Amino acid sequence: MLLELKNIEKSFGDKQVLKGVSFAAKSGKAFGLLGRNGAGKTTSIRILMNVFPADHGEILIDGKPIDYDRVGFGYLPEERGLYPKKRIIDQLVYFAELKGLNHRTAIKSVDYWLERLGMNEYRDKRLDTLSKGNQQKIQLVTALAHNPQIVILDEPFSGLDPVNAMLLKDVVKEQISQGKIVLFSSHQMSYIEEFCDSIAIINAGKVVLNGDLREIKRNYVRDRLIVNTVNPDRIKLDFGNACTVTEQGSLMIRLASPDDKQTTMKRLVESYDIDEVRVFEPTLNDIFVEYAGEQV
Amino acid sequence: MKQFGKILKFELVSYLKNKIFVGITVFLVIAIAVAMFIPNILALFKSDDGTKEPKDLPVMLIYSENKELASLVKQYFTEAFSDYNVLIAEGSMENVKSQIVSGDVECAFEMNSASSYTYYVNNLSMYDANPGTADTVLQEVYRVNAMIGSGMTFEQASDILSVQIENSVISLGKDQMQNFFYTYIMIFALYMVILLYGQMVATNVATEKSSRAMEVLITSAKPTSMMFGKVLASCIAGLIQLIAIFGSALLFYHINKSAWGDNMIIESIFNIPVNLFIYLLVFFILGFLIYAFLYGAIGSTASKLEDINTSVMPITFLFIIAFFVVMFSMTSGNIDNTLIKVCSYIPFTSPMAMFTRICMSSVAWYEIAISIVILIGSTVGVGFVSAKIYRVGVLLYGTPPKMNSIIKAVWKA
Repeated sequence: MLLELKNIEKSFGDKQVLKGVSFAAKSGKAFGLLGRNGAGKTTSIRILMNVFPADHGEILIDGKPIDYDRVGFGYLPEERGLYPKKRIIDQLVYFAELKGLNHRTAIKSVDYWLERLGMNEYRDKRLDTLSKGNQQKIQLVTALAHNPQIVILDEPFSGLDPVNAMLLKDVVKEQISQGKIVLFSSHQMSYIEEFCDSIAIINAGKVVLNGDLREIKRNYVRDRLIVNTVNPDRIKLDFGNACTVTEQGSLMIRLASPDDKQTTMKRLVESYDIDEVRVFEPTLNDIFVEYAGEQV
Repeated sequence: MKQFGKILKFELVSYLKNKIFVGITVFLVIAIAVAMFIPNILALFKSDDGTKEPKDLPVMLIYSENKELASLVKQYFTEAFSDYNVLIAEGSMENVKSQIVSGDVECAFEMNSASSYTYYVNNLSMYDANPGTADTVLQEVYRVNAMIGSGMTFEQASDILSVQIENSVISLGKDQMQNFFYTYIMIFALYMVILLYGQMVATNVATEKSSRAMEVLITSAKPTSMMFGKVLASCIAGLIQLIAIFGSALLFYHINKSAWGDNMIIESIFNIPVNLFIYLLVFFILGFLIYAFLYGAIGSTASKLEDINTSVMPITFLFIIAFFVVMFSMTSGNIDNTLIKVCSYIPFTSPMAMFTRICMSSVAWYEIAISIVILIGSTVGVGFVSAKIYRVGVLLYGTPPKMNSIIKAVWKA
């Protein structure tokens, strides 16, 4: 299954929130939707889930306009919350039923997920008696119990302890291996790097970077070198402004052009006492800061 | 449609499981049961009173220089004041007064002549009707004596004085007296239920919004299903509550029917004609729905529960005005004034105004039909507009949006 958003535009009043958002996500793969706060991620997700219509653009499944009666969505919103005063089993079954399951299947499915997430001891408790992390696991059940084809997880790992984060990772991997489209939105780049094959970075209502994560990294301009040395002062002096110190204490040398790479490396090894010299490969974090940070 | 059913069921179960809802209903049923058993309870105490000896009754003394007058008055007063032990005073008037002050005697009549007396009592109660009763009795005595003096027999004189006028009143339209009480009670019930449940619907929506359960709900169900499910659930819950209250009232009334005797007010309330009851139901349900939709829409624009009270103010005012127009017209005696006639076609006031007119005056069938059709049309219309406001409103956080910005957003949606 291929999910495509094409040139989605949306305004609220005079404010244009989305200025032509396009991306595509494949089943059996996780897709990362990145962007700073207020960039338009949640609006994109809401349009995708038909909470409100787009002003322009279209949403396609395998090339045809999406039919919401046939495509199931599971959604873990960033703003968490269910009915605090109601019994957990009652509300989970209610949400599963709203998504189209019949009563018996809903109970069975909810019980399976409570068991899977180790929450079955809370089955008959009120939601507000649970800790925040456990409430979040309960909320995850609302996104998964009806076995949707498209799972949208907005900041799924925030507030989880390492053990629960591990449990959630397994669940997410399982969902991906079941051939679902998993849409991730997170500011924790390490999780995105771990799961997502493709990403889109939204900035101020536009997609500024989009595609396969490995390709994005490979195509990244290779014009920086990382140098590790016991005696950095001489290099700093010789390279001047082109040389900076990274957080890890290494030196980073920015080249005038990627073509200078070989000559500069050779010069470094011959002239100085060098432990290591390599081409700088950006992390997703670096890419994000570069694309989303500057252009706001 | 399937979603709507699920939402309706979920919301209805929430109402019926709500401790406050159950508590209020049980409390009202018990209160009504107690009220309906009151005549029986009172009768229980009364039968005790009946076995009291005459000497247990409070003492009323008759004092007169004229012994003949004293015994005549005693004879009549014994009959008129059955809850007193009427005696002729012995000794001086001073003696009588000291007996009153000491509490041995409750009150005394000092007869100066057949048409003049002084009433003595220790503490004059606000409700002391003894002088009034005495006046009537003495007047009759005086008249009988005068008639006998002019040559009539005692029987002739008594017949003339006790002549009864027979009358019967036939109202060709509505009997406003008889219909007044249940109209009053029903209008009041409508008023209470709409205000109470309207607030509950608004709070319910705002709670979902503030707890962010809305984020999941809005992506799971259509706003129209949500709105109609919620509002209809509250309407059914309201009807269940009313049926429980009025049903138990009816049940307890029948258990105690003999004790209530011919109490006209109670009788008129429970003998509401079937056609009026059906009108009541129609106007009640439609009136409930149209306001509940508005309250739901308003609830969706509030981000915090605290905002609700101020947000719902305009609707509450509208409703209170409608209530007062009706109440004022009912008690003014001119039920068919122009104001209430106009109000009986305006959807937000017609449930109360038209029902009152049907109960208390003669309204042509087509007037009722027009009013109901307008009301049904507006209720459905308001329902769909509310669902639109709801969809826009539930995703807005922060300060409650202004009226015109909501209208703009709804227009676009």
